[in-house]
Amino acid sequence: MAGSFTFYPMKSLRCFLSLAACALAALPGCNRSEPAAAGSAAASGAGKPTIALVVKTLNNPFFIDMQKGAEEAAKKAGVNLIVQAADREIDVERQMQIIENLIERKVSALCIAPSGSREIVPVIVKANKAGIPVLIVDTRVDEKALAAAGGKIVTFIGSDNNDGGKLAGAFVAEKLGGKGNVAVLEGIPGHETGDARLRGFREAVAAFPGLKIVASQPANWERDQGFNVFQNILQSNPTVTALFACNDLMALGATEAIAAAGKAGKIVVVGFDAQPEAREAIKKGTMAATVAQFASRMGSTAVENAHKLLAGEKIAPFTPVAIELVK
Amino acid sequence: MKPRELLTHYGRQFGTLAGLLVLCAVLWALTPHFLTVSNLLNVAQQTAINAVIAVGLTFVIISGGIDLSVGSIVAFAGVVMATLLQRAVPVPLAILAGLGFGFGCGLANGLLISFGRLPPFIATLGMMSMARGGGLLFTDGRPVSGFDEGFRWLATGELLHVPVPVVVMLAVYAIAHFVLRLTPFGRYLFAMGGNEEAAVLSGVPVRFHKTLVYGVCGLLSALASVLLTARLNSAQPIAGINYELDAIAATVIGGTSLMGGQGSVVGTLIGALIMGVLRNGLNLLGVSSFVQQVVIGAVIILAVLLDTAFKRPKR
Repeated sequence: MAGSFTFYPMKSLRCFLSLAACALAALPGCNRSEPAAAGSAAASGAGKPTIALVVKTLNNPFFIDMQKGAEEAAKKAGVNLIVQAADREIDVERQMQIIENLIERKVSALCIAPSGSREIVPVIVKANKAGIPVLIVDTRVDEKALAAAGGKIVTFIGSDNNDGGKLAGAFVAEKLGGKGNVAVLEGIPGHETGDARLRGFREAVAAFPGLKIVASQPANWERDQGFNVFQNILQSNPTVTALFACNDLMALGATEAIAAAGKAGKIVVVGFDAQPEAREAIKKGTMAATVAQFASRMGSTAVENAHKLLAGEKIAPFTPVAIELVK
Repeated sequence: MKPRELLTHYGRQFGTLAGLLVLCAVLWALTPHFLTVSNLLNVAQQTAINAVIAVGLTFVIISGGIDLSVGSIVAFAGVVMATLLQRAVPVPLAILAGLGFGFGCGLANGLLISFGRLPPFIATLGMMSMARGGGLLFTDGRPVSGFDEGFRWLATGELLHVPVPVVVMLAVYAIAHFVLRLTPFGRYLFAMGGNEEAAVLSGVPVRFHKTLVYGVCGLLSALASVLLTARLNSAQPIAGINYELDAIAATVIGGTSLMGGQGSVVGTLIGALIMGVLRNGLNLLGVSSFVQQVVIGAVIILAVLLDTAFKRPKR
């Protein structure tokens, strides 16, 4: 170790400078994105309330639509908007960190699409303590867990996923003439959105004794997993004639598996969310239907409600957003 | 130690620390929300989980190995402990069981590596998949949620106004620093990582200590899992995905060499704090999550690049 003394101070200096440079490199990014996210040409947003929208991820077109809707509403209402998300849809701890940081930033209102219905509760309580109103979008919070922790939310803005599942189930029954083998691709287990869709679908299917759900497997909302899991389902259940996927990404992944198995057009594929790509697939005939969830309307309603709330208006505890089948 | 020796010994850490301070200064200049007591405690709490895992990885990496299974052990140990908690097992017992479970998973890694002669990358890659699958099987893929206040205290409580997770993190680092610098185990880690053959020839019980270091790493992952479970009030079998990468990043930013034989836990703590501060600061500034990923990647590369570029040539 002796003798290295002459060198190290230099090294410290270099480390110092480089990290400084690195930190500075981050600056243009933030200067650019803040006004852009605010959707306002004005460089200074002083005096205007800042509303934060924290979605699950921005890798999913559904949440990008939600972001767009929120940005338009923010522009109209003249409020600053910050949209943030974790890198991974299932990373609820990271989502929690983001929300804590926004609480430190003292945003005026928080709109959250929770990555975990129960796991989000502690941070809602933190926001409550900081006096920041919380509006929940898209995925319901577990009400029991919220009540147990003494947390409060202003409103839930979203569709009734249960109804969406029922629409999908009724459509599959109609398409198959009330009999056949059905497969299901689930979202992440224990995730309220997916569970509600699943419940609705099962309920609708149960009304037809000829319809049988022969396989129901989670593909964790992801496209590649939708492909793989459905490929495996096809191996073990070659008689499947319909598939309900709890979101479009998994459905789109599954259509590739169907094509690879040479069964294109022989399996009725129903997705959820009505993403542009799914609508294309319906036109092409690789998918039969999808349930439209109007993410952008959820985003805009969330910001509008937050704005009204900040202006002192009362908000209903549930703001339904329409749901319909696209075929 | 004389100041001169101090500088020699901790030169690298001074560099990393300077980086952290500059980062803080820049954020302080950019946003009024950064340098507040509550935000700094907030950053420390957010850093605690990664920092605790990173201690284990620092030990393993100093010994010349790698552990990819930490994130999966976080998930598996978490659901095991959470299930016990829900079956009304007393909190300390459930925590001990969780820690023991993590230690066991780690020991299994260590045995495969030292006695089975598997490369650490392979053994822990296997464990990564097995522990992940094990956790999913154990809970049928569902999260285990809802614990009583006594357990939640580990996330929500304070000791002398310092949040409990931060206290735990600091205690872990104090102990780890002591272990690494002042115990035979610590010295053997450096010896094994520096030159394993030489260590064997000088009579270091290499196999035993190699097995033990993976056990310690598993134990610390389980400890992180306790903090995570209390924080979320829920143990998820899908928790901790990619945590190994965050912990490796903190370790290398802190100046520990991936080649083994060199490193310090103090550096790792600063490395973990740099990552935590960066994420926090970028959130406070409202920077998009895409830009954040680019920035964090750049910091990792820069830190190691500097380390390599200016490393004193070996004599």
